[in-house]
Amino acid sequence: MAATVPTAPTRPRTLVVASAFGTGTVLMYFGGLFALYFSVRADALAWGSQWYPEGAIQLVPGGMNMATMAMSAITMAWAVQAVLNDDRVHAMIAMALTAVLGIAMVNQTVFYFMDIGLPIDASEAATMLYVIVGSHLVMVAVGVLWLGLLLLRTLGGQDTNRHRDLVSAAALYWYAAVAVYSVIWVGIYIAK
Amino acid sequence: MTTTDTAAASDPSPTALEEAVTSTDPNTLSRVWGFGGMTSVLLGAIAGLLVGFERLDLASADVFSSADEVFQFWSAHRVALVLLGVLPALMGLATTVVPRQCGGSLLFPRAAALACWTWLIGAGMTIAGFLADGGLGTPGGAGQRQATALTLMGLLLVIGGLLLASVCVMTTIVSGRAAGTGLRDLPFTAWTTLVAATVWTGMLPVLAANAVLAYVDLRGRPAIRYGAEDAIWEQLSWMFTHPAIYVLALPALGIALDVLARATGVTQSNRDVLLVATAAFGFLSFGAFAQTFFDTPGTPIREEALSVVAAFAIVPVALAILGGVADTLRRGASNLGSKPPADAVVALLAVLLVVVGTVVGAVHVIAPLELLGTAVEGANFTLVVGAAVLGVGAGFHHWGDDIVGPGARPGLFLLGGLALALGVVLSGVTDLISGLLDQNDFTGVTLAAAGHPESGVDALNLVSMVGSLAAVAGLVVWMIAGTLHMVTARKDAA
Repeated sequence: MAATVPTAPTRPRTLVVASAFGTGTVLMYFGGLFALYFSVRADALAWGSQWYPEGAIQLVPGGMNMATMAMSAITMAWAVQAVLNDDRVHAMIAMALTAVLGIAMVNQTVFYFMDIGLPIDASEAATMLYVIVGSHLVMVAVGVLWLGLLLLRTLGGQDTNRHRDLVSAAALYWYAAVAVYSVIWVGIYIAK
Repeated sequence: MTTTDTAAASDPSPTALEEAVTSTDPNTLSRVWGFGGMTSVLLGAIAGLLVGFERLDLASADVFSSADEVFQFWSAHRVALVLLGVLPALMGLATTVVPRQCGGSLLFPRAAALACWTWLIGAGMTIAGFLADGGLGTPGGAGQRQATALTLMGLLLVIGGLLLASVCVMTTIVSGRAAGTGLRDLPFTAWTTLVAATVWTGMLPVLAANAVLAYVDLRGRPAIRYGAEDAIWEQLSWMFTHPAIYVLALPALGIALDVLARATGVTQSNRDVLLVATAAFGFLSFGAFAQTFFDTPGTPIREEALSVVAAFAIVPVALAILGGVADTLRRGASNLGSKPPADAVVALLAVLLVVVGTVVGAVHVIAPLELLGTAVEGANFTLVVGAAVLGVGAGFHHWGDDIVGPGARPGLFLLGGLALALGVVLSGVTDLISGLLDQNDFTGVTLAAAGHPESGVDALNLVSMVGSLAAVAGLVVWMIAGTLHMVTARKDAA
């Protein structure tokens, strides 16, 4: 072995570091999708083509989802703070609220897409829209499952100040989900 | 002693398969990554050899029945070498060598095991997809759509496994290294793995985004655009060409620096310069932006300033690293003796091929030469990926005793390494000349598709095919050497 260091390792905030790297890969995935979306959209508009049919994408459902995700970011921060303060009751309430808001966002999105009558094979724009929004739904669903796991740990009394890293790691991932949705909101629902 | 303890004590020891499937031991995972990766490298080289046979007579399809079949094997050659071969093999070294270099142990070993098996299952699905007439699309659109979907799904699992393993390794380096050890103190293998893994976690998700888009468009109905059979490869091809392939060679450079320092018994002078140079090499390898499929009409991305500058900027960086290697060899030459260690020889060849590969990469973006899409791209791929394979091989030989136990075969390893290097040079140089004579990177099976005006590249293609044959022979020798090593180590352990 080349130069090795024999001293014992320390593991500062290992879970948070791993979550940061993992969340980074998810952000790069969405970064790739957004880059393709905006590139193809810019080309289509430059050639005078219609991107979405008139009235297909409405601002209100997207705005409601954005508000839901923004509220969930606040409740997630509340959960982190509660765990830091060893406040188990508030931690449980905050995590449960965050998960419910995530589920509400998934529900609103599914309802909206069943309602708009824009089939996935209607155009390039529709295909990309479904891929981006569908991927984000998966991201939120994973976050909700993670929060469910944390809730179980909290019920078991494990989410204390000493075990805060798992909550911080989940929070990092959740904030990224909110950030990704904000790009969807501005880039797709507002800019159309 | 409890009942459970008694029962456990009476159990027979696990078989090699049981141990491999259930273990979270980094050494075991490293063996799975390494053996699986090098097997894929061999399969990829064989696919390349078959395409080389076909290229010998461009007037008719002799080995394959159609241009679509040639294309499937040609693309399988690249996918097998990059995503199923070199990257996993590097992950094998990263799983076991890097944590030790950091003075700790691999963090999240169960996640690392999940990553390893996800990759292996994905690799199996990808190969099955290619063999079932799928692959990553075909120019004629004559492939099986279901098999193409299987290939894409396999590719996504492969990417997922590689990403999860990268996260484990990066976290180990950043958060799990010994107290008091700064990033500047890391050995070069660990350092270059950190840089390369950072770039992988930047590029592989983008490749996944491309694959998901193609998969969603492919399934269940006629494709709109992204899932069309003749469009899938072009969306994914950026991962298998300049500049993205350079990142495969980066850990090979780190391995070479460590191996040569050990062989010569001297530490590198100007260590900080080498750290910066290797980091720059990694970040100049970021290639997710170079997606020709999404070119704006009239402004092809590979002719834009960013691509061209990156292609030229990496050459002096590679030369700086070569300078560091040369300086180490100069100062430690007296310690090498008349018979330098086999791993040092192979590692040095890897560094030289990386430098040549970057020069070829810079030449092929010079607009007036019009070399984009020609066999020069194939030469660039062969030289860089060949260098990466040599570097990985040197790493496995150098740390082989730590991974599987004693029993290395240096003579056999050197023989295989020299054959592989010879094959890479022959294929690379002849493809470079063929490209300068206008032969296309993908030649198809007709003179018209090959893109050359019957200007005597047939002889060059023959030499290139001989090079491919030498490379396959070298890899077979390595597989034999590795298998003998593992058998000897197992016998010794028993």
